[in-house]
Amino acid sequence: MTGVGYSRRTVVLLYGSLTVLAIVWLVPVISTAMMSLLPVSQIRSGWWNLGLADLTFGNFVRAWDQGLSSYVVNSFLITILSVVLTVGAGSLAAYAYARMAFRFKATTYFLLITTMIVPVQIILIPMLPWFRTLGLSGGPQEYLGIALVHTAFGAGWAVFMLGSFFATIPGDLLEAARIDGAGWFDVFRRIALPLAVPGIVSFAIIDFVFVWNDLLLALTLVGRDHQPLTVGLANLQSPHLAQDDLVAAGSIMAILPPLLLFVALNRFYVRGLFAGATKG
Amino acid sequence: MARPTTAPPAAPEGVAAPVEAPAPPSAPRRSRLERWAPYVFIAPLLAIFAGFYLWPALVTVLSSFFEWGLLRPWSPVEPERWDFVGLGNYTTTLTDPSFWNAALNTAIWLVVFPLLVAAFSLLVSILVWYVSRGGAVFRTMFVLPMTISLAAAGVIWSFVYNPDPQVGMVNALLDRLGILGADWRLGPLELHLGAWLSDPGVLDLGLAEIRLTNLALIIPAFWVFSGFGVITLTAGLTAVSYELVEAAKVDGANAWQVARHVLVPALRGPLVVVGVVSVIFALRTFDIVYVMTEGGPAQDTMVLALLLWQQAFVFLDTPQAGLATAVAVLLSVVLVAGSYRYLRQLVAGRPR
Repeated sequence: MTGVGYSRRTVVLLYGSLTVLAIVWLVPVISTAMMSLLPVSQIRSGWWNLGLADLTFGNFVRAWDQGLSSYVVNSFLITILSVVLTVGAGSLAAYAYARMAFRFKATTYFLLITTMIVPVQIILIPMLPWFRTLGLSGGPQEYLGIALVHTAFGAGWAVFMLGSFFATIPGDLLEAARIDGAGWFDVFRRIALPLAVPGIVSFAIIDFVFVWNDLLLALTLVGRDHQPLTVGLANLQSPHLAQDDLVAAGSIMAILPPLLLFVALNRFYVRGLFAGATKG
Repeated sequence: MARPTTAPPAAPEGVAAPVEAPAPPSAPRRSRLERWAPYVFIAPLLAIFAGFYLWPALVTVLSSFFEWGLLRPWSPVEPERWDFVGLGNYTTTLTDPSFWNAALNTAIWLVVFPLLVAAFSLLVSILVWYVSRGGAVFRTMFVLPMTISLAAAGVIWSFVYNPDPQVGMVNALLDRLGILGADWRLGPLELHLGAWLSDPGVLDLGLAEIRLTNLALIIPAFWVFSGFGVITLTAGLTAVSYELVEAAKVDGANAWQVARHVLVPALRGPLVVVGVVSVIFALRTFDIVYVMTEGGPAQDTMVLALLLWQQAFVFLDTPQAGLATAVAVLLSVVLVAGSYRYLRQLVAGRPR
């Protein structure tokens, strides 16, 4: 690219400053990872003085045994249910908004998009009584309840992003199928959907990360037995408990799934975020 | 990342994919089902949207004119139990010092957070643009914290800020430099090095005292969110033409001049997007504050989103949910009004 043609000093300066910045940027995660792998006594005397012989997975085992395991299961249940609902209902609707004409299209689209801006607090306060009315509280149905709220709040994002992927499919392709007599549903299922798979994967990853990382909805809307890892972590993080080893292990457990997804599917993730910024 | 607690990947001006709805089908006769097709497509999402967003939001707005608490919830179908107070919740809120304290702290977020995000992502995206090899690797490193939840980030940064120099990295560093625990005074600025989450200092502006603890909370949020800025600005830089850069170089421009006169101007649109989305993010701040300080010490780091949550869900025996709904409505109105142009932009080029 453009590095060519600049003096050696400029190039060294560029790489040097980027390397320093990147190290500073990653140090908080690295230090937490180190703490999660060391016994408490070592944490208290500075992990940077570590003896490699002391590294252990003991903190993870104990954190898992002391109840984090059920938080992890809850996190996966809530996240997968939410992503499936959002991607399913979202891609149908996004296709309609991108490709079809119907009444109240502009108004409903505008309303959907407001979910990208309005704070969750606008629905949170009357939500518990509403859940009770709908029979969505006090049992495993809480998983469904919070997943539906995640779907409602991901709706704007879904029609916006998935819509931009459906919009890139050449119109001729869809028209040709229509003229051949295929109905809208066939066109969607046989042509549009397969072509939009990369876009849908990008969206699903971003939605997964978002739902997995949610604290506020889970803290407020689900009972103790169904809370995800973010809430578990907030509960562990109490200055009185002095269990830095467990907290460090718990936070690494909380960041691993989205991180692994990100590393494995980086291309899709960045493409998804690019989608809004550049076309296609 | 936080789908940056829903940061939308926003479209810079004029780039939002324009979508033309295809002309109504000219083919002869469609079944009745076909005519209803668009409605069948949107029905599932809109049903969920109506039941779990529109309706509760409407209840929030309506119930903000009544006094109620979660132990005695307001219900639209039980008028005999209504306790109508008109605009009472709003006047109480707007005359409440704890509301204005939270509003001031939110304002600090609103100013500092977007500036940090914009400055950092500008620097990084330009540096990454310049390096010929490894640019993508560096970009990935800066985007990585975006996948971390604000809750986990709060925990991670609580370790970084830990007052014990044997545990906390910042204090370990200051300890080596021999300035841990130092008290400094520079005009209106008071600094105590060491107690980052309890009392790092105050900036006295006369009209208002800015508690620096808020800055200690803004940094982790900035750390998580900057990846969004890096991605958006990197995308913006792909639009810069190499001919222009080559021409500038032939004219003798050095790297700094190219950045200043070619790259930065090209990023005006994307920078606006990053700014708006960070402002939205800052106004909705909850997780970081909840995990790291719960608004304390005292009310030093209380923000609006946390204040209303505590009013509704912590003080259950006092009927403060009405007040909380009023704060939620005010916050939402400010957000929608403030980002209205951006909202229109997101919608632009869409259905008419």
